[in-house]
Parts: sequence; C-alpha cells; structure tokens
Amino acid sequence: MRVYRRVKVWSVLLRLYHWAFALSIITLFLTGYYIHNPFALGPWEGTPTNFLMAEVRFVHFVAGYVFIAALLVRIYLLFFGNQYERFTDFIIFRPRNLVRLFHTVRAYLYLGEHESYGGHNPLAGTVYLCVLVLSVFMALSGLFMLYPEGGLWASWGVTLFGTQQIARLFHYLLFWVYLIFVMIHVYLVVWNDIFGSEGIISGIFSGRKFLRT
Amino acid sequence: MSRLFANGLMKLRRRDFLKAATIATAAMGLPASMVDKVAAALKSPARPPVIWLHFMECTGCTESLLRTSHPDVATLILDLISLEYHETLMAAAGKQAEENLRRAVEKYRGKFICVVEGGISTKDGGVYCKIGGRTALEILKHVSADASAVIAVGTCAAFGGIQAAAPNPTGAVGVRDIVKDKPIINIPGCPPNGYNILATIVYILTFNKFPELDELNRPKFAYGRRIHDHCERRPHFDEGRFVEQFGDEGHKKGYCLYKVGCKGPVTYANCPTQRFCDVGVWPVAAGHGCIGCTEPNFWDNMIPFYEHVPGVEVPAGQGIVGKAERIGKFAIGAAAAGIAIHAAAGVIKKATTKEKEE
Ligand code: HEM
Ligand code: HEM
Ligand code: SF4
Ligand code: SF4
Repeated sequence: MRVYRRVKVWSVLLRLYHWAFALSIITLFLTGYYIHNPFALGPWEGTPTNFLMAEVRFVHFVAGYVFIAALLVRIYLLFFGNQYERFTDFIIFRPRNLVRLFHTVRAYLYLGEHESYGGHNPLAGTVYLCVLVLSVFMALSGLFMLYPEGGLWASWGVTLFGTQQIARLFHYLLFWVYLIFVMIHVYLVVWNDIFGSEGIISGIFSGRKFLRT
Repeated sequence: MSRLFANGLMKLRRRDFLKAATIATAAMGLPASMVDKVAAALKSPARPPVIWLHFMECTGCTESLLRTSHPDVATLILDLISLEYHETLMAAAGKQAEENLRRAVEKYRGKFICVVEGGISTKDGGVYCKIGGRTALEILKHVSADASAVIAVGTCAAFGGIQAAAPNPTGAVGVRDIVKDKPIINIPGCPPNGYNILATIVYILTFNKFPELDELNRPKFAYGRRIHDHCERRPHFDEGRFVEQFGDEGHKKGYCLYKVGCKGPVTYANCPTQRFCDVGVWPVAAGHGCIGCTEPNFWDNMIPFYEHVPGVEVPAGQGIVGKAERIGKFAIGAAAAGIAIHAAAGVIKKATTKEKEE
C-alpha cells in the first residue's frame, strides 16, 4: 500500500486568482462573442429600450478589469509566490524540468507512468506561461479599444498594433485561442484527476494535493 | 498660382467667407470668440509660399478640394497661401514647369511649406514614378530638404495609400517613411475633408505653430476621436439594433451599420461632425458603413469592407486567406477531435490493462 502526504501547494491568493481568472474569461467569452456578432436579440423600435449592446459591453469591461486584476496577481506570484507558484518551478530551461517534460509527454501518450509533482508539470506550466503572456496582449488590445483617446493607451496601442482594427483582429483571434485553451485545459485537468493520484481538481479549491511519500 | 484667383473672378462673398472661417474655427475645436482671429489670419496678406507635389495617386484629393463649394474651401486655401508649384493647377508645362519648381525651391529656401499628394515608389530605385526624368523619391528628398515643414495630404501621401496595398508592386510608401528630418503633418483621408486641410493651414497661420498631433502625426482636432463615438447611428448600436443586410428593414429604418462592416469603431476622423459636400452629408448618414480611409494601410486592413474583421492568412497556406471565424471553428474542431481520440485511447488502455490497486 502506498502512503500519501497531503501537501499545501496553492496559496489562497493563487486559488482566488484561478477562479477570478476562469470566471472572468467565461464572462468575456459570452459578452465578447455578442460584441463580435450581435445576433438579433435587440428590441426593435417600439418596445421598451434596454441598451443591450451598451450593457453587454459594460459587463465585458467589468469582467475585463477582473481579468486584469487576476493577471497582475499571477504575475506577482510568478516571482514572489510560494515554491510551487514561482516560474522557476515549472520553466523548462532547467535540467530537472526537461526530464519531467519528457516523462509528462510519455505519460500523456500512454507510454509511461504518471508521475506526481507538487506544482505544475512543465508542459502545463509552459502553456500557462504562454497564456499569461497572451493575457497581457489581450489586456493591452482591450484597453486600447476601450480608451481610444487616452494618451497613454493610444500611444502604446499605436506602437503595438498600428491601428484599432489590427488590435481588434488580434483581440478576436486570441478569443479563439482562449476557447481552445480552456477546452484542452479542462479536459487535461480531468484526465490528470483520473490518472493521477494528486487530486488536482480538489487541489485548485483546497490548495492541497496528495503526494507520494 | 493664386494670381489666378486674385483677379476677383473667384472671390468669395463676405457671408460665405465668414461661414468658412466659422466652420474652420469649429473644426479646430476653438471657441466662437476665435472666429475673428481666424478670419484675420484668413485675410492676412502674409501668404506662406507652398510647393505642392503630386506623386502616385488618382489626384482625387486635389479634385475633391477644387469641387467643394458654398463656401469654396479651395478658393480660401488658394487665397491663403502663395502656391508656387502645383502640377494640376499651374499653366506651365514641361521644361518650364521644372524650371519653376527649381526656382521656387531656391527663392523660398527654408521658408516654404511642401505639400505632398500621392505615394512614393521606392522599389528599384523608385523608377515606377518619374516626373521630368526624375523619380518621385529624388524630387521629394530634394524639395523637402529645403522646406520648413511637410504636409502630407491624403492617405497616399500619409501612409502609401492604394498603391501600397498588398502586394505593393512598386514599393510605395508615405512621406513619413522618406522624410525623417522635417516636421510632418498628415491629413489622411481618401480624400481628406477640405476643411481639415484649411483648418490645419489656418491654425499654423493663426498661432504660428503646429496643431496638436496624434501618434500618426494627424491633427488631433480632426483625427482625435473615432467615427463611432460621434456617429448619429450610435444609439442604435448601443440598443443592439443592426442592419443585417443592405436594403433590409433595419437599413430602411436607419439602424447601425456595424454588422455590414462599418469601420467607424476603429477609425479616427471627424466625418460625423465635419461632414462633406454642400448638404453636410457623410457616408454613414447616406447608409454606407465607414471604410476606415484615414487609417494606415486601410486597403489591406479594413477589407473586406462589408465584414467586421479582415481575413487572416492561413499559416503555410501559400497566400490563402481565410475568415477568422472559419479558422477558429476549424481549430476548435481539431482540438475536440484530438481530445476525443486521446480520451478514447485512455479508455481502451484502462480496459485492456489490469488496474493495479494501490
Ligand atoms: C480572455 C479575455 C478576453 C476575451 C476572450 C475577449 C473577447 C472579446 C471579443 C470576442 C470581442 C469582440 C471583438 C470584435 O470586435 O470582433 C471583444 C471586444 C472588446 N474587448 Fe475583449 N476580451 C477579453 C479581454 C478583454 C479585456 C481584458 C479588455 C479590457 C478591459 C477587453 C476590452 C474589449 C473592448 C474594449 C472590446 C471592443 C468592444 C467594442 O466594440 O466597443 N477585452 N472582446
Ligand atoms: C475559463 C476557464 C479556465 C481558465 C482560463 C483556467 C486557467 C488556468 C490556469 C492559467 C492555470 C494555471 C494556474 C497557474 O497559473 O499556476 C490553471 C490551473 C488549474 N486549473 Fe484552470 N482554468 C479554467 C477553468 C478550470 C476549471 C473549470 C477547472 C476544474 C475542472 C480547472 C482546474 C484547474 C486545475 C486543477 C489547475 C491546477 C493544475 C495543476 O495543478 O497543475 N480550471 N487554470
Ligand atoms: S454606423 Fe458605424 S460608426 Fe455609426 S454607430 Fe454603427 S458601427 Fe458605429
Ligand atoms: S466615414 Fe470613414 S471611410 Fe468615409 S470618409 Fe470618413 S473616415 Fe473615410
């Protein structure tokens, strides 16, 4: 019989970040898609007004700010979080993590045994890092569109994207990237919960995983 | 050149003159109390010398300027400046014209304003646009070197325009890519509103300095705000009432043109307030979406004009451009298929290997 230790890996801040991030993104998906393609839900003339598009955009922007706040928290934790939360734990430029990456890929291809780590496996960690970088661009393109006349955003926006249209295209393409990320993410999280013994799903709520002694 | 107009034939009536001064003042975002100052500048006898160059373009900027009326903006501008060289308007031709240009540059060295209309070819040494045996590139470098400032009129001069659209066979660029050491004002538009040209010149004459410019060197009074934020159809946008198709019920009712590709939300210009033509109309008022003609590379980025976002090049697709949406859905499908296969493999593996209980 194997013995497991229950180890605290995710701080409260990280868990708060995860769920603020996840819920804000789901909200941003729904509202963003409506902004992109406003299907005819709007009332026609004669019915009481409700400013559907204005309201949806408002929700998008509020969720956008939650998203940005969560993003900032995660960036802080990358440097000042606990041992598992820092980028050094899962960045692939470390011999230890290269070995782990190899094991992870083997396990995902059903060719090897699942190994358990306290933090992210390096494959997941790398994807999460990419998502954080994309999120910075998502926030910048969003803020550029939100503050078209704001001196700072306007000048950053032009430097980064050139025009609003490109920022909008970028924002919209990343929307699909997030959709795909979330699909695969949720699938792999469930998969790991089934094949692994750490209980990672309860971990993202409780902050604790079960590691082999 | 203004000699043509100074003979009184094209003099404006006082009423029209004041109207134009007032519109120009409003365009600059100045209070009504400034109208007198602007009118004084408009009447000032100290007329700055201007050399107006034409390169790769349709000449639509000049043509549309000359065709404004009530009050005649072109007359005002041409009265305001001392036009030393302008290929469309001048009487001289051939060698004589070239001589005029050379003499004007010499005479007003360091003092004249160089107005450029049209893009500049840079490929193969710029051989695709030559005037009098010299390339546009040479002429622009030569003339701008002695100018006090350069005003790029129209999207071609500002950002390259239609000839710079992909695949840009002649390597066309805007003035800002050639002239690096002179102050530049861009007045883009296809064509730009004559009042924005007038107001810019009047601003310089009235205050003896450049108006405030944005990141792309466009005067903020004209290009500081997006079309969408001043549009008369905006309430329909906020309300979620859209034209689905040209000619449908919503179109007849004047709903927002967002879904038929209006680029108002991504275009900086004052068209909704400044408007065009005698009757004060502009595209969106007439039922057609904005196509974003004041933005860099609009021929590439704002197309398809009747869709919301441009197509994207499919990586490794050898020039295949797809709709972002279709590519996104394809990628989602591929990801879903990958997940399904992976999950199936997992189920089979679980079923075939005996689970070792721990
Ligand atoms: C993962 C995060 C996000 C997703 C999936 C998302 C999705 C979208 C989508 C699909 C659109 C429509 C684009 C189009 O015009 O076709 C949009 C528009 C927009 N988003 Fe986001 N967005 C996200 C984050 C943000 C953030 C952080 C901000 C900034 C506060 C923001 C601000 C905006 C703005 C200003 C628009 C333009 C709305 C308008 O037309 O007025 N978004 N978003
Ligand atoms: C919009 C939806 C979601 C997004 C954008 C998202 C994003 C993320 C990100 C970026 C991380 C990495 C955390 C870090 O930076 O350290 C993460 C971790 C995690 N997420 Fe999500 N998530 C979403 C939904 C979910 C859902 C629905 C679940 C539960 C079923 C879940 C479970 C987890 C777990 C268990 C981890 C930790 C993985 C590990 O231990 O290596 N996520 N998520
Ligand atoms: S018609 Fe165009 S500019 Fe006007 S509100 Fe609709 S999208 Fe905006
Ligand atoms: S409405 Fe748009 S396309 Fe039309 S002139 Fe103005 S900026 Fe150009």
